[in-house]
Amino acid sequence: MFKGFFLDIKEWTLETARIFRHEMSACLSDIGVLLFFLFLPLAYPIVYSLIYNPEVTRDMPVAVVDRSRTAMSREFVRHADATEAISICGYAADLPEARRWMAEKKCFAVLEIPEDYTRKLLRAQQPQIQFYCDMTLLLRYRTFLSSITELQIATGAQIRERAMSDLGMPSSGASENISSVGFAMGDTQQGFASFIIPGIVILILQQSMLLGIVLLGGTRQERRRLRGPLPWDSCSPSAQIFGRALCYVLIYLPLSIYILDFVPAFFNYPHHGNLLQYLLMVLPMLLATAMLGQTLNIMASERESAFVIIVFTSVAFLFLSGLTWPRYAMNGLFMLLGDFVPATWGLEGFVRINSNGGELWQQSHAWTWLWLLTILYTATAYLTVRLQTRR
Amino acid sequence: MSTGFHNVVVRELRRLTSRPIYLVGMVIVPVVMALFFVGLLAPGLPLKVPAGVVDLDGSRISRKLTRSLDAMELIDVSRTPNSYNEAMSLMQSGQIMGFFVIPENFEKDAVAGKGPALTYYYNLAIYVPGSLMFKGFKTMAVTTQGALVQTNLVDKGATGRMADVILQPLTISSHPLNNPWMNYSYYLAPSFIMGLIELMVFIMTAFSVTQEIKTGSSRQWLEKAGGRIGTALVGKLLPQTIIFSIIGWGCNSLLYHWFHFPMNGDELWMFVGMFLLVVASQSFAVIVCSVLPNPRLALSICSLSGILAFSLAAFSFPVQAMYGGMAPFSWILPVRWYFMIYSDIALNGYAVYFARWYFIYLLIFPILAVLAAPLMKRALRRPVYVP
Repeated sequence: MFKGFFLDIKEWTLETARIFRHEMSACLSDIGVLLFFLFLPLAYPIVYSLIYNPEVTRDMPVAVVDRSRTAMSREFVRHADATEAISICGYAADLPEARRWMAEKKCFAVLEIPEDYTRKLLRAQQPQIQFYCDMTLLLRYRTFLSSITELQIATGAQIRERAMSDLGMPSSGASENISSVGFAMGDTQQGFASFIIPGIVILILQQSMLLGIVLLGGTRQERRRLRGPLPWDSCSPSAQIFGRALCYVLIYLPLSIYILDFVPAFFNYPHHGNLLQYLLMVLPMLLATAMLGQTLNIMASERESAFVIIVFTSVAFLFLSGLTWPRYAMNGLFMLLGDFVPATWGLEGFVRINSNGGELWQQSHAWTWLWLLTILYTATAYLTVRLQTRR
Repeated sequence: MSTGFHNVVVRELRRLTSRPIYLVGMVIVPVVMALFFVGLLAPGLPLKVPAGVVDLDGSRISRKLTRSLDAMELIDVSRTPNSYNEAMSLMQSGQIMGFFVIPENFEKDAVAGKGPALTYYYNLAIYVPGSLMFKGFKTMAVTTQGALVQTNLVDKGATGRMADVILQPLTISSHPLNNPWMNYSYYLAPSFIMGLIELMVFIMTAFSVTQEIKTGSSRQWLEKAGGRIGTALVGKLLPQTIIFSIIGWGCNSLLYHWFHFPMNGDELWMFVGMFLLVVASQSFAVIVCSVLPNPRLALSICSLSGILAFSLAAFSFPVQAMYGGMAPFSWILPVRWYFMIYSDIALNGYAVYFARWYFIYLLIFPILAVLAAPLMKRALRRPVYVP
């Protein structure tokens, strides 16, 4: 009895190896698949880096409506111009003119200084400056706001010192009572690329693999329809899915090293942790994705189906992963949907190791989920293959 | 001309209803994704960011500070770790997005004027909640600072009003125009819905055109149109234009009427713009298919550019801040111009005069497609399928 069992195992291993060899040559001889399996993971991180690499937006044009026209108001405008976000593009006569400039995209914000600015300052009456900001892009507003806050604090400190000495109080002491310091973690330079690239690259790994797998699966289905069953359809379904999964994961391991280790190093993104931990983190994700792709093959009736059914999911998975919209703020349904996307967990784990300097053992929740997904999708991939190869 | 046109339209309607993939790509995906975005982003802002407070002082003031932080709408104090290391570990395992540290002897040192420091740590690896948390923490730190300084100033003999002015000699009030709630959904939902419509128009146009080349039915298609490429293309794509426009208008109605996204301008122009977006995207795909009449290459180019459009059309990171060489890539994407129309007319409520160029740019795409059509005719006459 045991002998038969071992013979079965041997046969199964040989079948798996045969499928693996065959799939590997199918991948390497198909330009469409190579485009997804090699070009996409190699080129996309660079393309995204080229788009986002300037990290921040600075010196955005701002119009001034200066009703005060005094030395102090001009000094304020000079200080505003010197901040990171603001570059004064000109003086408008009044608000309607400034608004027109805004509509013509000559400026993205308007700074309005009241008529009694200097008078109120000298009388210690707290003048109020208005800042109107275009809200087309949130990033612009966020950058403006931090510069405006700094400007208010710096100008305030300068005026305070003058006022305190006028009152005969020691100018220091008042503001040094307590202090506060904030530290940005994970993306210490507060740049856009440093935040988005570590997450995007994980999605690139998953999506390019899915596209390639469904392209291969669609091609097989097309051939089955035209020429009847394929020679390897008689192999056991488990040997088919494992042989293919092995092929995909082996192709993706070197790509993962490139994407997870080289890319952040090239472009100087946050990069903590070590390669072994990244690879251990994404290994179950690659496996789960390989199995998910073979499950999605159920919908691929021809080669080109991959484009219609897979491409748009990149956008959906981007949202479900919580990169742009945090997962804790989603309602139960979306949270649940996201749980079943391998990249969600791969992204959480990788970002926390790579950007926040966490350890693999701290990501046990995500890691467990990835293995559970691997088991789940192995079962569904098995069913898909059974269904497609049944004669 | 007219009979040829009629024949092609009838033929196309038969083709569209012959396979479920057209229904999936043209109707189900856009509709489901539009509902997906609107539903996912319905809260507007991801409030109540999970945070930790490390209270090393345990005094009256520090407890009050913790309670005030928890009471903010931005922050939810879900953990009270005992040390910096513990808090850091919680952040690295993703249970909190940041933490606030109140040092030992904080109250005592503050009253004695020894200048203790409040520190806070926020995780920007996930940008939006990180930024919101920073805002909440900073507000709390500054107001605590202010309250203590004011007490100190009054003790030194300043009047209450004087203390106020000394603390804040001038104020700058910010007016985020047309989105005072800073609703994050206003950015993400409309822009991703329009990007998705463009993507699906790209893919389905390239799919339906290159299918003819793949199956070799392109000759019959051209014959039906009387050998005229213009009739053939318009007859084939017009039914798709109508379907996609209806879907696009439906998405506009979903946004502006059902979910009350800002519509400060003349809504008619948003509908015109949506129609032009569909036509321009179809033209883009026709140009790609004319130059590369091969299903794999045409669909790959259309998919890759459709996906990159989400970044290149600058829905979140401004074109002006990108490297100079990147700008032309955003110009060739129709959705860039529809996004500008959305921002000018729907969000900012400007007169259509200010958005006139964006409409004209969208009209350039079909003109270029006409120029590329002869190439397409050659490919249709001699269909070659390279898998």
